[in-house]
Amino acid sequence: MKEYNIRRIGNFIYRDVILLRGTITTALSVVSVLLFIVILFSLRKDHVVVPGEFMSVFNKLYIISGVLFIFSVLKETNTKASNHLYLTLPVSSYERITAIWFTTGILYTIVFSFLCFLVGQFAISVGSIFSETNFHPLPIFSEDYWQLIKFYFFIQPIFLYGAIRFNKNRMGKTLLSLLLIVLGLIFFNMMLYGMLNYGYDVFSGEELASEAFGLASKDFSGIEKVLFVGVFMSTMLLATYFKIVEKEV
Amino acid sequence: MDFDNSKPIYLQIVDFFYENILAKRWHEEERIPSVREVAVMVEVNPNTAIRAFNYLQEQNVIYNKRGIGYFVSENGFNKVLDIKKIEFMEVILPDVFKKMRLLNVQFDEVKNSFDQYVNNIDHEKK
Amino acid sequence: MIQIDNIRFYYPNSKVILNNVSLHFTTGNIYGLFGKNGEGKSTLMKIMTGLLFPKAGYCRILNENTFKRSVKCLQDVFIVPEEFELPGVKISTYERVNSTFYPEFSKDQFYKLIKEFKLSIDQKISTLSFGQKKKVLIAFGIATNTRLLLMDEPTNGLDIPSKSQFRKIMASSVDQGKCIVISTHQVRDLHSLINHVVILDNSNVTFDQPLSTISEYLWFGKPNQDDRASIIYSETSYGGKAVLMRKDHDETEVDLELLFNAVISQPDQINAILKNMYHDERV
Repeated sequence: MKEYNIRRIGNFIYRDVILLRGTITTALSVVSVLLFIVILFSLRKDHVVVPGEFMSVFNKLYIISGVLFIFSVLKETNTKASNHLYLTLPVSSYERITAIWFTTGILYTIVFSFLCFLVGQFAISVGSIFSETNFHPLPIFSEDYWQLIKFYFFIQPIFLYGAIRFNKNRMGKTLLSLLLIVLGLIFFNMMLYGMLNYGYDVFSGEELASEAFGLASKDFSGIEKVLFVGVFMSTMLLATYFKIVEKEV
Repeated sequence: MDFDNSKPIYLQIVDFFYENILAKRWHEEERIPSVREVAVMVEVNPNTAIRAFNYLQEQNVIYNKRGIGYFVSENGFNKVLDIKKIEFMEVILPDVFKKMRLLNVQFDEVKNSFDQYVNNIDHEKK
Repeated sequence: MIQIDNIRFYYPNSKVILNNVSLHFTTGNIYGLFGKNGEGKSTLMKIMTGLLFPKAGYCRILNENTFKRSVKCLQDVFIVPEEFELPGVKISTYERVNSTFYPEFSKDQFYKLIKEFKLSIDQKISTLSFGQKKKVLIAFGIATNTRLLLMDEPTNGLDIPSKSQFRKIMASSVDQGKCIVISTHQVRDLHSLINHVVILDNSNVTFDQPLSTISEYLWFGKPNQDDRASIIYSETSYGGKAVLMRKDHDETEVDLELLFNAVISQPDQINAILKNMYHDERV
């Protein structure tokens, strides 16, 4: 197909990565140093890194750098001085969205996980030399890890959309809209819960309110959850695609 | 190349050719720069350069060898000389005459001036 | 090459910038796009590259609407904007990551142009002055060998020797397969390159003629006493130059600045003369 060419997508990914080389290197160095220090600290206590310890730092670094990376990749789209050249580059909107999704999703996750694994393993090796720590493999692929990846892939399209949709204060506005969506969902669920359980007088007691929250999160479970996530993700990606198509300078 | 605004650029390019031929920088039956080279040399649109080449071809000063390029005609030098002479007689001289009448300059004065000029040049050559 | 039909455009909450604009650009020409500040030159160029969408009318490249920004279309267009930023990488890196998208890109040509502009491919773009960045982009744009090349104020920011280099480079890169559109205020920098003049005024195309037609019907210079009758426009200053109907005068070079002023003040009269005395319907 003339408008969808794998090689062009590859070239586009390559272009993004090369042009952001400096930013990426700096960010990854900071992450490495932080992770290294945190893991050394966790070794001091019990000479072992358990999945929970690693994940508690990894999840923050992973989500924050991921969001920052998304906004860096899409910065060209909204910068007045560079979006002429970006938008006239002969790459179709399908190819753009595929490339951006791949770069900030799969490529980012693989590279980031691999780097964190290496750094963590290195920290353990260092620990085993200078302390009583025994060398052991870093427990990275835990249940929590896959949960986190799923969560990231769920929020990624939202941030892609926000990064293209808003011209100024893109990150702030995206976070704000995200907060509004979440609040809206919670409110909606509470209303729903309140209407369905009118007799219980939901809005009067603390206890019942918290039960409503609990139910809201339980609302999506099993197949429904997969379906919801799938539909939501594709809807957001589609919305992002149309934002690219409609983008004017 | 600096253009003056009174004459069309293509004719100024033609003058540039005449000058090169008269100064024997470009010899008869020798290849001259291509349209594109001339366009780049004088910084003009190649279409303008083509117009100059066509004009020179009409004057039989240059000719085109298919696939090779443009050459100065066999007796191009004399042709240019004739053209420039006619231009001198028909354009420059009438202007001078007009000024002479305006300023009341006598022909003898001009003749003296001219003789002196020729003398000076001869001296310099020696 | 590019066909513009009845285009209308305005920015949100502001006056109409282009109203019913129709133009046709063909290959083998260098067009000069002129107009006062804010008359929509840059806007028109952005519409031509699909960066802005017309509110009405069509802008098509080889029968394809530019606003769709299809790959086929974009591979045939390059724009050198007036203001821009380039990534802070080496010139060679910039070339490597961007050139792959243009099927007709010539690396040799790009490197040659960079050299002609007295730059080196190992220089980091972030260390260059604005004029030098412009040269990088101009060189890149020419080397993409797109059939349509648009340049918005290309000589802004170029120093005097660079302007001459620019003219030489443009003269060498135009050919029968290329269509170049240059928008500029710096008429003197480019008048020897342009062979077709388009003037935008009052949100519309007031003038659209090849130089050959202009010099056939109009005469530029200092008029004599007996030329008074045929003066179309004259500068008010003492001994000022004027635009005259040429009639049997010798051909003169078109003075673009003078022409521009004349068109702005007497558009109908000039258009009527160039249409060989047939009266324009608007007269």
